[in-house]
Amino acid sequence: MTQFKPVRDVVVVGVGLHPFGRFPGKDLATLAREAVVAALQDGGVWWRDIPVAYFGHVYYQGMSVGETALGALGLTGIPIINVENACSSGSTAFWQAYWGITAGVYDLALAFGAEKVPGGPVTVTAADSPERYIGGDHMMAGYALRMRRYMEETGAPAAALAQVAVKARQNALLNPYAHRKQTYTVEDVLASRPIADPLTLYQCCPTSEGSAAAVLCAREALGRYGLDPSRAISVVAATLTSGNYNGRGSDHSAFSPYRTEPAGRAAYEMSGLGPEDIDLLQVHDAATIGELQQIEALDLAPRGEAWQATLEGRTALTGDLPVNTDGGLLAMGHPFGATGIRMVHETVTQLRGEAGPRQVPKARVGMAQCSGAGDVTTVHILAR
Amino acid sequence: MSASTESKVVSVDPSRLRLTDGEGTTGVFLGMRCRDCGIYVFGAALFCQSCSSGDLESVELSGRGILYSYTIVRVPPAGWPGPVPYVLGEVELPEGPHVLAEVTDIPEADLKIGLAVAMALQKVQDGQSETARMVYKWRPIPQFTGVGQEETR
Repeated sequence: MTQFKPVRDVVVVGVGLHPFGRFPGKDLATLAREAVVAALQDGGVWWRDIPVAYFGHVYYQGMSVGETALGALGLTGIPIINVENACSSGSTAFWQAYWGITAGVYDLALAFGAEKVPGGPVTVTAADSPERYIGGDHMMAGYALRMRRYMEETGAPAAALAQVAVKARQNALLNPYAHRKQTYTVEDVLASRPIADPLTLYQCCPTSEGSAAAVLCAREALGRYGLDPSRAISVVAATLTSGNYNGRGSDHSAFSPYRTEPAGRAAYEMSGLGPEDIDLLQVHDAATIGELQQIEALDLAPRGEAWQATLEGRTALTGDLPVNTDGGLLAMGHPFGATGIRMVHETVTQLRGEAGPRQVPKARVGMAQCSGAGDVTTVHILAR
Repeated sequence: MSASTESKVVSVDPSRLRLTDGEGTTGVFLGMRCRDCGIYVFGAALFCQSCSSGDLESVELSGRGILYSYTIVRVPPAGWPGPVPYVLGEVELPEGPHVLAEVTDIPEADLKIGLAVAMALQKVQDGQSETARMVYKWRPIPQFTGVGQEETR
């Protein structure tokens, strides 16, 4: 993939979240704004100092929601850009903020995302698409096709897949912002309602509402804005790649989901780090199979072996590679536009040592990988 | 204005499926072949998905393939006009592309990766439009028996 060259160091100075769940009385702009205010407060950043903002969201709930969300903070006239890149919308907004700063276009930037995902199966194409008659446009059915290939090729038992969901719920139990807080067993997961065999309900992420925000700054500009360098977390890699979308047809293979492999390798190259340096990982676990495939595509487990690592507890909070430490999409929830920035929020919180009961000891480097329809994949590596 | 009693039959996606008789009951998959790198794509493309060459030719693709993966969709997407549950199959054509479609006429117990299947057309009218769509489906066959169109149910 094409590699851009960073010019100067970029850090995250503030992160904010609105809890994930269902909030029927709250509109999208209000949801979004609450995370923004939290991120500004967290970083000690003045709203009037923010020169640009990127807002990730997917579902249409009125035009220019980013402007509506931020307008209430005071109309400062800055460029506000609404970003739609499917489930990677939030991480794409973050990626844009990063590249603008490192290139020297601006010193500070706000990346935020929010969503109110409707219930029911998620589809990618428009309502009048031929796909509606063909029946192939169904997000979880796509994961189910991958899962069957994976199980067939690796011998992974259903219980290993279910353990991914059990682990997610255990982590979410330690996270006050999580959508799903009830725990369950492998048996509960396998016995839950079948959605698209072999995927059961508890192996699919909930459709959630929520928001997340991050404020980024050029390291060299921290002093100019009176920002605290001790809580700043470096962004050492930011990659985004989109895939071959049309024509080639669907390929739900056991390995290399979406474009994770090239995005991950580019991120390792950009940071000068390798898989052995990653202390904790957030990946796109929209379904249980997603987590296993992403871990392998990022070279953090050999092909076909992430399921064993999961059964051995290596991806749990107490393992040697904690994955989706806040509960991930499966249990923290998945408001599309917020998810990519939620991953940044968790990584920053862990690297600062502020994750409380779910703190990963001695975490220095964290990776966040987010996928979206259109074969969009972002990978960010953050370091203390 | 009186509505026509003869409803029109169209291909569900003319870039992927050409109907080959007046009734619209037989059809052939369409694709593109790259003259530079040889790769095939399902449906229309302006440029090769693999090497970006603009030198593509329109081709007909096989109406048979091997079941690469499958799922039984028990909670369908909004607007799905077919039965629930339905079997969604991902089929690898001999030319390479994968084609997703419903697999019909197969008991759940017989589903397995590697199954030989052939394309069959089914008329779908969902009440939202007077136009009936001919939709491609997959149906099990004993084995590859040569080239040609499958009969239509």
